[in-house]
Amino acid sequence: MTTALRDLISNPNTAELELIARYGMQPEDPRRERLFEAFAQTGLPTRRMEAWKWTDFKAALSALDRPASQSASDPLASDDALCFRFSPDGFEYPKDLPEGIHLFVKPEPQALGSAEDVPLGALAAALAGSKTRPGTLMIEVTAADLPRLHFAFGGEGEASFARVTIVVRPGAELSVSESYLGGAGFLSSVFEYSLQGDAKLNRTVYQRGADQETMAATALVQLEGASEYTQTSLAFGAKLARLETRLVHKEAGAKAIMNAAYLVGKGLHADITTHVRHGAPSCITRQMTKGAVLDGGTGVFQGKFHVPRTAGQYTDADMQHKALLLEEGAVVFAKPELEIYADDVECAHGNTCGALDANQLFYMRQRGIPERAARALLTEAFIAEAVETAGDLKDILRDEASNWLAES
Amino acid sequence: MPAYMRTMLKIENLTATVGEEDEAKTIINGLDLEVPAGEVHAIMGPNGAGKSTLSYVLTGRDGYEVTGGSATLNGEDILGMDPEERAAKGLFLSFQYPVEIPGVPVMTFVRAAMNSQRKARGEDEISAPDFIKKSRELGQKLKLDADMLKRPLNVGFSGGEKKRLEIYQMMMLEPKFLILDETDSGLDIDALKTVSDGVNAMRSPDRGMLVITHYQRLLDHIQPDKVHVLAKGRIIATGGPELAHRLEKEGYDGVLGEVA
Repeated sequence: MTTALRDLISNPNTAELELIARYGMQPEDPRRERLFEAFAQTGLPTRRMEAWKWTDFKAALSALDRPASQSASDPLASDDALCFRFSPDGFEYPKDLPEGIHLFVKPEPQALGSAEDVPLGALAAALAGSKTRPGTLMIEVTAADLPRLHFAFGGEGEASFARVTIVVRPGAELSVSESYLGGAGFLSSVFEYSLQGDAKLNRTVYQRGADQETMAATALVQLEGASEYTQTSLAFGAKLARLETRLVHKEAGAKAIMNAAYLVGKGLHADITTHVRHGAPSCITRQMTKGAVLDGGTGVFQGKFHVPRTAGQYTDADMQHKALLLEEGAVVFAKPELEIYADDVECAHGNTCGALDANQLFYMRQRGIPERAARALLTEAFIAEAVETAGDLKDILRDEASNWLAES
Repeated sequence: MPAYMRTMLKIENLTATVGEEDEAKTIINGLDLEVPAGEVHAIMGPNGAGKSTLSYVLTGRDGYEVTGGSATLNGEDILGMDPEERAAKGLFLSFQYPVEIPGVPVMTFVRAAMNSQRKARGEDEISAPDFIKKSRELGQKLKLDADMLKRPLNVGFSGGEKKRLEIYQMMMLEPKFLILDETDSGLDIDALKTVSDGVNAMRSPDRGMLVITHYQRLLDHIQPDKVHVLAKGRIIATGGPELAHRLEKEGYDGVLGEVA
């Protein structure tokens, strides 16, 4: 490695040196250079950065190693969906696409807006390309009544990167799902969703991981016109797992629903981070995040609504986060933020954290329901509200939550 | 011995405390009580006598510690069992304040309860059609429409509806021994009649009941075989239904003064 490359990141750890080496092996490209520099400004995010204070990748990821764990099975895979499969060294995609879906598999990286705000997203965009994987996967959607597009991230290996850009043209409608199934020591993906006119998109994210795996899935969402974006995530955590969404309302009348549930067991960490900028008047955001954590697990919720003085007028936004600490030793960090400069808005937020209600548990046990089952039933009911928005996939998400509760 | 002469619930010299160790207060203090199969016994007593505590001690709620004595149901010691084990043995408590269970529909809840109990007893689960048929029949009897049974249990229901749902659960689960804790509280006259009719329909030679109440009013609807007066954690007087009428006329002070 040349000295110049090594100096890109100050005090690099082994993982960062390996990332620099991977970058060094890529063909030279000014766009890649800018992307990698955006990552290199910070390197792997650490707790010293406000947005990462509870999710320290540099501490958790010392080297790019292949974990002993294998990827989980994919509950969202289906014959009805068009499946795109990413693994640490492979990529498969459907060759026959219906009218209304246009696919561009590009070997080279493409520029990424606000790359500086998403260091791991910039890294994913810089390193996504290889002999077997596209640098950028671009999809243009021009119709409604289409099959769901499903992106599955599985397979074992040291590291996996992906960059996907989806543009939904005015009047088009699409359902998209992303499954992060573990198996890679480190995974970073970046999805861009751009909705135009009165386009509609329903996105579902499912994440599973093990205690030797770190992953970050970053989504950058832009809403134009009176478009509607619905997002539902279910995260079970990994050594570190971060599902981050940065959404911008760019034109008046756009609507976003962003729900998430996290269920975290021992030794695992799930982070739901969202940033919503109301950059146009009269836009709506509804956000509901629910979590349940066992002893030795960590849940993180960071949500921010940014409402500028003029552009954000008549914003209607609500952010709720509710967490259950199922056992002693469970940890939840939460930071809901409203940053409002406009004076005629309706913005609300709520944040609660507590244990299951002893009265409810006794009542259920008095009726003959064993304590474990009573806890599972109450927790499942608590979580259910947050996955209601997943359209046809909501029953699958609820079953996954229910199975997890039955097993833990 | 015929079933209706057999003692179902037998409590001997029971003492129990409430609260944390160093601040534990003795609420039940040497209580003796026997309820045979086929009989309905009422327990009356002033505020703070230990009526609700007795129901929680018998059903195994956390925070209530038995410090002496025994309680058996059909000869089996119940005090060492988990609440769910006691339920599977046939013990049912109708709560004074039924608890809201958000997100769990009434029928889902009752089916889970029924199948948990059956599993604990080594019986087969109830089939979905059988369950629905039984639920529909009882719903009609208790004036609970089908939509109500699909809503989360007790969430947003009126006081009267909650009590009717307690009776619905009781009739679905067919327990062997019922404890009704202040079932009349918060009920208007019509609701009281519906609830009492439900309880009376449950009377049977092989089922026992303990009706805990403040007022004689409920006992006009649910005729007890015996009335016990509970004060300071013990049964201090036992009699027939006429005792309840005397309490109503003379007040607890009058009757208690006499026996003290």
